[in-house]
This record gives sequence, structure tokens and C-alpha cells, in this order.
Amino acid sequence: MNNYKNKINYESPCDSDNDWTNSSDDSKYSDTESSVPEWDSDIGEDGELVYIKTKTHSEIKNDTKAPLLESCETFKLRSDFKRSSTRRSTKGRIFKALKNRKFKVKDNGNDKRKDLEDNNKFIIIQVSKNMIFSSEKNCQIEKLFGISLDTHADGKTLVVADFLPEAKAIYTPKVKSGFYLQKINGIDVTSYNINNVLPRVIEDVENPKLTFQVVSEGFNIDLEKLLKLKNAPDNSLTQLLKDSMCSALYMCGNESDYPSNDDKGVLYCFPRPFNQNFLYNTRGAYLTLNHLAPKSLGTSEPVISTVLHKNQLINITYAPNCNDLLLVAIPNDKIDVFASKRIINDIVKVLELLYGSLKTCFTKPNNVDKLDSLFSRIFVSLLFGSKNKDKIDHINATFEDILAARTVSLPLEVKIQVDDAITELEAADYREWTDDVDNFQRLYTVIGACLYYSGHLLTSHLQDEDLKEINAYLKLNGILNLGNDKDIERLVIWKEAVGVTPPSPFYVEECESCLDLLFDVGLNKYLLSWFSSNTQPQVETSPQYLTKHGRKIRDNTSTKQDYKSPTLKLRKSQPVMKRRHNSSDQINAGSTSENSINNYHSTSQHNLYAQWYNGPQKQYRHSSLDVSYSEDSGSLKSNSEISEDRIAGRRADREQKNRRESSGSDSDWEKQEGSRSSNIDVSDLRKSLLDELDHATVHRITAGEENVLFHFIQLESEKGVLIAPVRNIEAQANSPLYSHIVKTFRTACKKIHELLQHSIMFKKSHAPSNPINKILVAVKEYGMLFEAPAAILNQCGISKKNCEPFHFWVVGRVFSEPEPRELYLCYHESVPQDITEIAYLLSYLE
Amino acid sequence: MSVIVIAIASESGVPIFSKKAGNNENIQFSTIASLHGINMFTKCHNLQMINTLVDNGTILWKEYCKSVTLIGIATGGLECDLELLLSCIHDVMVFCIGKKELENLKNLDQIKRDLRQCYPILDYLLESLDPNLVPRSTIVLDFIQSILCPQAQQLQQVLDNYAQSVTGRWACLTIHGHLVATSSDFCELDPRETRLLLLLAAAQDGAPLRDTLVYLQHMSPNVAFRAVTCKLLADVYVLVICGATPALSQIDELVLQVWEGYAQVIKEAKLVYPRNFPLSVNFDTALLGLLVINVSKRRCVFSRHLHSNQKSRAMSGVHRIDILRTFYVTTAKDLAPELKLAEGDEKGNSDKPIIYGAESQ
Repeated sequence: MNNYKNKINYESPCDSDNDWTNSSDDSKYSDTESSVPEWDSDIGEDGELVYIKTKTHSEIKNDTKAPLLESCETFKLRSDFKRSSTRRSTKGRIFKALKNRKFKVKDNGNDKRKDLEDNNKFIIIQVSKNMIFSSEKNCQIEKLFGISLDTHADGKTLVVADFLPEAKAIYTPKVKSGFYLQKINGIDVTSYNINNVLPRVIEDVENPKLTFQVVSEGFNIDLEKLLKLKNAPDNSLTQLLKDSMCSALYMCGNESDYPSNDDKGVLYCFPRPFNQNFLYNTRGAYLTLNHLAPKSLGTSEPVISTVLHKNQLINITYAPNCNDLLLVAIPNDKIDVFASKRIINDIVKVLELLYGSLKTCFTKPNNVDKLDSLFSRIFVSLLFGSKNKDKIDHINATFEDILAARTVSLPLEVKIQVDDAITELEAADYREWTDDVDNFQRLYTVIGACLYYSGHLLTSHLQDEDLKEINAYLKLNGILNLGNDKDIERLVIWKEAVGVTPPSPFYVEECESCLDLLFDVGLNKYLLSWFSSNTQPQVETSPQYLTKHGRKIRDNTSTKQDYKSPTLKLRKSQPVMKRRHNSSDQINAGSTSENSINNYHSTSQHNLYAQWYNGPQKQYRHSSLDVSYSEDSGSLKSNSEISEDRIAGRRADREQKNRRESSGSDSDWEKQEGSRSSNIDVSDLRKSLLDELDHATVHRITAGEENVLFHFIQLESEKGVLIAPVRNIEAQANSPLYSHIVKTFRTACKKIHELLQHSIMFKKSHAPSNPINKILVAVKEYGMLFEAPAAILNQCGISKKNCEPFHFWVVGRVFSEPEPRELYLCYHESVPQDITEIAYLLSYLE
Repeated sequence: MSVIVIAIASESGVPIFSKKAGNNENIQFSTIASLHGINMFTKCHNLQMINTLVDNGTILWKEYCKSVTLIGIATGGLECDLELLLSCIHDVMVFCIGKKELENLKNLDQIKRDLRQCYPILDYLLESLDPNLVPRSTIVLDFIQSILCPQAQQLQQVLDNYAQSVTGRWACLTIHGHLVATSSDFCELDPRETRLLLLLAAAQDGAPLRDTLVYLQHMSPNVAFRAVTCKLLADVYVLVICGATPALSQIDELVLQVWEGYAQVIKEAKLVYPRNFPLSVNFDTALLGLLVINVSKRRCVFSRHLHSNQKSRAMSGVHRIDILRTFYVTTAKDLAPELKLAEGDEKGNSDKPIIYGAESQ
């Protein structure tokens, strides 16, 4: 309720800041000259910022699959300022204070959630009272129990760090280092009270009972915390990564370049200590091989070595850099050779993005902690990034995720909206932010922007190489997956690639307001339903219906009628975000998306700018829009020359239209300077546009009466993007047969992709340096026919007796003009397909 | 394309031999030492190098019998299963000097000298990877290349007869290195042993009659047999495994006695090459090449001359065989799990042949 009130107050533009600063609990804001963003305290010493705010627990419950930034209150609230305030304005201050309050209210929910998440497995160990362990440090705990403890990153929980040699037999293998010490003799212990508890334990006649909480792998890893981490990751995580054989090592080939280095040429090694790191111990082998292969064997430098260590297959990837060498080791059971080869390139991209070059990255002073946390994030997101989806193995290494940024083909209307908003952000037309145009200078020039929605790239205005780097950064830091585990309310990351400047709240606000704008337009609601609509193009998620028997089942149940209709009604089940209103009495809490336009209408009739809304809004859109646009376009350029003899009513009307059609027009703006808190802007029109889009045209790209397409991937590796069905398509399908097909498809695609590279590489370099296989460069298309095993068909209710074998094709083809484009298809064999035609249809989806 | 194979005594690090095929330079001693050093060093740290990929190639370490390390380096887009090649080379080594010798490696200089006799086989094996050396080139390393001909039945009787006369059991007839007919007991031999015997005959280089001491890896890895190869016609050899007697001169006479009347049959069989399929079997004109594999018997037949009068075809035979081989190695092998059987468990599989074909568009 508190939020609500704030909102209402906030919406009244006549409030003075004093009201706010006085009412705010936090005096911090009352006397500062400029407003301070809520993430201000999170800015690191080096000017970098990672700020994440998760949503409160109650909201999450409703929709477990809610996308990132869904229905974010803060965004909606501040949208009014979007074009009418500079951040130093008083309103900015109000806004800050408001946000701060809201934040405090929401904070309470966080702790509860933690408890729920915790693993409830406990192990109780009884230690004989007679045993006294010899402790070098003369530590009471070590003497009594034979273990040494560490404090968890939360400053409270006690973590088992190590066992004394004599005590090891008592604890292992049940208790491992990294487990939490929960209770002693039934008393909860923390770092605060442990010293008080110990004397009681000593007095107790009974043998002390220690309760440990099991910390299972991956479960206690909090990506969010890792992202915010400024220091080195804690011991338990380092231990975990060490145990899972992840490692990174950077060494220089010429030690004399770094005379200060006393680690035998190793400039960086993670996880440490050095002598426990297998990669460090065997580094000589890789360095020699890296040196030997091109010089003495006449091959290229090694790309990847697979080694067997402690019964685990580990892939070690090489990234040579002049004389130096970066090695990254990842266990093969989580990330296979195919993925490892590409991940090392991504890692190099990220490091180059952040530091300019590998060399500066690893030689920069005082950079070890940062690299530690970066690499731990990389490893964690690679190994445990999928903890919520344990059903689907290799989730982080699926074919689609490794190769490029995953996009979807949105309908044209939506694409325009999105691009428009992003362009506006990039234009950064500062004349709209300040009156003092002459003295105001741009701090930064926006070179590009891209928009993601629940792990899918919606649009990118970045250069191809930049996009690849940004995507690698987001992917490897686990940011793209962050929304899967938690609902993020707000996330701000400010990183300056090469160099250091503190974040500019100004630009952060601009970005947020851009998102805000898109949310106002209803993009999130639209996408939520669009992502579950399976339309562009439609894939058949119930492959069992393509068999004779399955058809019978379908006809009996006839649940699949939807799929036959050419358009699909989008389900907008989401409770609609409350619209902004100008005064409190117009809030209509129960409005749904269908009638929100009308609602808005009725309310706007009474508001301050009611004269701009003469007649039903629909008229603007349908009947008069086209005409008036062409009529106005001439006068748009020279608004000041509007002849005086026009009648006032018509003029007002026109101006209003102008404003809506070209919100960025400066002359337009100057005219309405006086009414800067106007909240009728282009977003209102946009909003209604997307709301209207409750139908999605179903596109089918395969030939034949029935849809036989199961999955597809269109990869444009030059651009670093690929189009595929949405990530959760398998979950949507919820069919074992479909999952089997997709799994087979992905495995096959890896193979096809590798083969097609020969042709692509050959086309790219006319004089190949490495000898090539003459046969493989000619491979353009590669198809494989698979048969689904009977066991899986059985699971789908197709019994052995009445079932013909279920065959499906996986076909990959490369189109080399103008830029190499690869298309992978998976379809039922019943209808033969022309892959060129499909590629054509796919490229013409709006 | 290039392949380098280096054999090193694992413990002492003494290089045993190094062989290469293709256009690369000879590998230096220091490089061999470094390569071996890498392997030894990682082993000290309980780490085993399985495989290293380079652009278009592979570097592989493989230790056999805990005594010999083979290092293979393959580059240049030639698709070959390097691991399989190394294991074949190890087989050849056992074939020539016996398993015990190879395990003990007592007198290294002696062994190095003994191993020289297997060099022709090794060279033949490596060269057969090159598609440009037409008659020798092979598609698959782990299958016995055969010729299907109607004369096989008749020839089998003669082979049985011949084997008896030299008090041996296993005899076979090869044309251009392809297996044509065998004696009835010949299937007792392991397919890998058969392959080595075929290689022995093929690497003979035209000698009319020769006997070699061979160790059959499965049959008798430590006691040598005597393999007698005899040239009947150009590119046609008959091979028999027998004991110490009869003497080579006697065998020379026996061969004449047994085979004299069958020259015509052999000549007819020889006509099937290079089609390798009997003329009675017709193929669609679109087919450019064909590979048929009998998985359980580990035998294969391949052909790039399916049509007798098609000189006009632009695509050369070398190219066709290269396509077929590349397809088999890069694709078919991974798709059909039957083809990747580990040694020893070949038996008990279906007789269903797997057919691969290259088809023109």
C-alpha cells in the first residue's frame, strides 16, 4: 500500500521537493545538492558498478517463468521524467527519495526467500570428549573438534575450512570442507555466538554433537552475489571449482619481460594455491606443445587438448597471445570439445572487451581479485548455470547458446517499436534534457545498444563484432540466465571497457527510460504471450501426433484445434500493469488489457490535457492517421511558420498529432515547453498499438498439409546471431518424444556445423594457409535420418503394435551468398522438404 | 596431407622409428624428445594426454604394452582415424617381432634391427592413406578389403588343397591386395590378423616366393608362424601359414602342382578388379562409388568403377574414392555404432551389411 501512496503523490507535478525530502526517512537525500541514484553505494572504487535488485518473494510466486524486468514498478513511475527532466532537476531528487523508500520496503522479503532455498540435509557428527586435538594456532575449536572454521561471506555462517590430520577420519567422507556448521549440541551457532557456546560445550558431560548442513554442489552458488562480488570469491567456491577441475592460467613465454614476476612466468592462475592447481603443475606440457607444434611439427598451434586426470576427462583450451599463452580447463562432462573450442574464444573476447588485450588484462596491477571473480563467474555459469533445469543436461552448452546470440523473428510492428525506442536512446538528443543547450556537452556518444528479453536478443544496433563481445560478456557472466532463477527488478552494470570512469547516472537513467518506454508500450506483456505462442514460424511440439496412432488420439481428444487456425489468439493472462494516471481518483485497479484503452480514454477526457483528446482515440489510429500525417509532414519541418489564420481548435489538434508522430521534433518541443510535465507522448500511442496486437499470424515454413517442422536454427555467424524457437520450447512442448528429437537434433547439428565450416572457411580465405580437405570444402548440405526409439514412443502413448517407425530428418545447409548463413532443420519424414525454399520463407518472415 | 608416426621406448625414451607420409619434412630428434618429454611429464602428474586438436589435424600419444609409445601427428585435411592408425601400427610391430619382445624391450638395438623388416608394411600402410596412389589406396583401415567374384567358391577348394599340401591350415588368395578367396578354416583368424597378412602380401613388392616369420596377435602372440607368400600372376598372391616344413624350394614345386590348372580361373577373377563386384550385379548409372561393409566379418568391398564404359565422366577415380573415404571417416563411422566396435567383441552381431554409396547429383 505504501508504494501505492508514493506513486500517487509522485504523480502530482506540483509537489515541491521539500515535501519529499522531509518525509523521507533517509536524511541522506535531504541536503544533497544532486539526487543520488539508489545504486550509488554499489559503485566500486574503480568506478565500476554491478547493481542487482531482486523482486520480492510474493510477486515471484505468481508466475515462475516471468521474464526479466517484468512489471517493474520503478520503471513505470519515473517515465514521466523521461524527456522533461535532467537528472539534477528537483524531480530527480524526488524520484530518488521515492525509490529509496520503496527499496527499503521491499528489502524485507529477501531473507525469507533465502531460507526456502536452503538445502535441508544435515549431518550429525559426535566427537568424543576425550579427544584433544593439537592445534598449532591454539584455537579452541580446533582443539575440541579438530576442524578449522571460516566465516561465510555473509559474515555469520560458519563454514568448515579444513580438518586437522588426526580428525580427518572422524569427519570424512560425510563432512566435506565447505559445509556449514549449523549447531553444536542442538544450539544454533554463528560467528557471533560461537565463543559463548564453546564454554558450555566444555562444561557439558555429554560428547559434543556437531550438526553440519550439507552444501551440495551448485546449490549454494548465488550468481547474483557473484556478480556483485568485488573481492576474491570465498574459499568454498574456490574449492568447488578446484574439485570440478576448472582452471585458468596465463603465462608468459619470455620470463625476462616480467622481471618482477617470481612465479616462473605464471602471471595468473585460478583457482589457487598454485601447487594444488593441476593446470599449473602441468603447464610445461602445454607451453612446450604450443611452441613445438607450429615450429617443429608444421601444424597450427594447438586448439584443444583432452586430458585424463583423476578419472575425469578435461578439455584444456589454448589461447595464444604473442609469446604468451592463456589456458582454460573445463571438465568434459559438462562442456564438450565442441563447446569448449568456442567458449575459449568467447572468454578472449570478454577479456579484450574489458581490458583491451590479454596482456594488459593479466599484467594490470591489482587486478587479480577481479579476474578471480570473473573466472569464477564464467565457470559457475558454465557448470552450474542450469541448476533449475537439471532435466536438460548441457543446457549451457546447447548448440544454439554456444554459437551466437539467440534471436527470434518478431512481427514487423513489434520490431519497429523496439527499434524506434532503441534509436531514440542512441540519438541521445540532449536538447530535450536541458535548456542550456550551449553549455551542455555530451559525456558519451552512444555507439550502439541492444535489447534482450529473457535471454533472447530482440534487437541490436551494435556492430557485429561489438555484439559478439557484448553477448559473450552477458553469457559468460551468467547475466542472460539470471532471470531464470530470480526475478530481477533492476539491474545496472556499468563497466568501462579499457579505462575507468564512474557511472553516469544520466546515462543509466536514459537506458532505463528506454526500457521504461518499451514497457509502457506493453512490449513485456506482448512478448510474454508471444514467446509462448509458437508462431514464427510454428514448430510442431507434439510430434507423436504425426503418427497414425497419434492422429487417432488427437482426433479423439481434439485439443489441437488451435494449430490449424491461421492466426492465434495470444493469451494475455498477465495481470495488466496499472496505467499511469494523472490524479488519484482515476485509478482503476481492475482494468484489464482489453479495456485499458477505453479506460484511458474515459479518464483522459477529464484530465488537464483533455482538449487534445477530442473524439475517440481510435480515430487517430485508423481513420485520420494516414491523411493527417501526409498533411502535416510538410509543416513539420517549419512549425514556426504555421499561419496564424488557422482556427485554434484545428491547430491544437494538429499539434497534438504532430507530437505523437514525431516526438523528437525540436520545434515541436519548444512550443510545448511550458507544459513539460505532459504525459501524453508517443508512448501512449505505441501502447495501444501493441495492445491491439493480440493476434499473431501463424507462419508455417514447411511444405505439406501438416506442420512437420520440429525445430530449426538459422545461424549467421558473421553477425553473431541465430534465429531459433524460443528457449523454453521444450518446456512448452512437454513431450518426451519432442525432447528426444531436439536432443538428437542438437547433437547432429554440432556435427553438421563442424563439417560445413570447411566450406565456409574455404570461401572466406582464397589462399588458405593450412592445407585443406578438398572433399569437405564442397559439402553444402548434410542430412541425416533418425528413428525415434520405441521406448520413447511408448512414453507418448504410442504402443508398439500399431506404430510405424517414427523417422525424422536433421538437415543442415550453408548458403554462402552474400554472407555465410547456415540453416538447420529438423522435420518429420512424411513430407519431403526443399531446404532452399524453407530458407527463403524463413528470411521473409516479418 | 601428412602423417607422422613416431615410436619411442616408453621408459628409456629411445626413439625406435619414425615414419611419415605426405609432403612434410622429416622430424628432428630434438622434436621427438620434446614430444616424448611432454608425455612423460604429464604422466608424472597423474595426467594423461588423450588427444590434442590443431587446425585440421590431431596430435596423439598412445602407449602400448606399457613399453612402447606411439606418437601420431596428422594434418592437412586428410581424414583418417589417427587412433586406429596407431593401433594398426602397433599390430604390425607385434606381427613382426612378437608381443613378448615388444613388452620387454630388452635389447633395444636388436629390436630396432628386427623391426626393420616391418618397414615395408608400415610404409605401405601409410601410403595407402593417400588417395592419389590409386591401386594401393584404401578406404577403411579396420576392415578387410575384398573382391566379390563368382570364382571364389572354386578357388576355396584349391586353397584348401594347397594348404593341406604344405601342412598348413590357413591360406588365402589376394588380387591387388584385396582378399578374393580363403581356405575354409581361414575365418578362424582374427580379422586384424587377416588384415596384416594381406598387408604382408601386398608389401611384397613382386618377390615370387618368400617366407616370413609372423606372430599372430590373438592366435599366438609369442610363438612365430611361417607365412609363405607366392606370386602366381602379376598382382596375384597366394598366402599360406604353415609350420617350419616343407622347405621353400619344396613349396615352390607344390605351388606349381596345385595351381597349374587354375590360371584361367584366376585370370577371370582378376577381371573383376577394379570393379570389385561381379559383372552380374548392375548399378544405377548415377552411382559414382560404392562401399559395402559386412560388420560381423569385418570385411568390406568398395568400388569406383561401377560402370564399364563411362570414360566421359568428368570426375576422376581418385576423387571418387576420396569422397567415399571422407564420407566414411567423417560421417558414417560416427553415425553407425556398429562400426566402432572395440577389439574382441566383433562376434555376435547381425550379418546385415551396411552400404554406403556416393551418388552424383
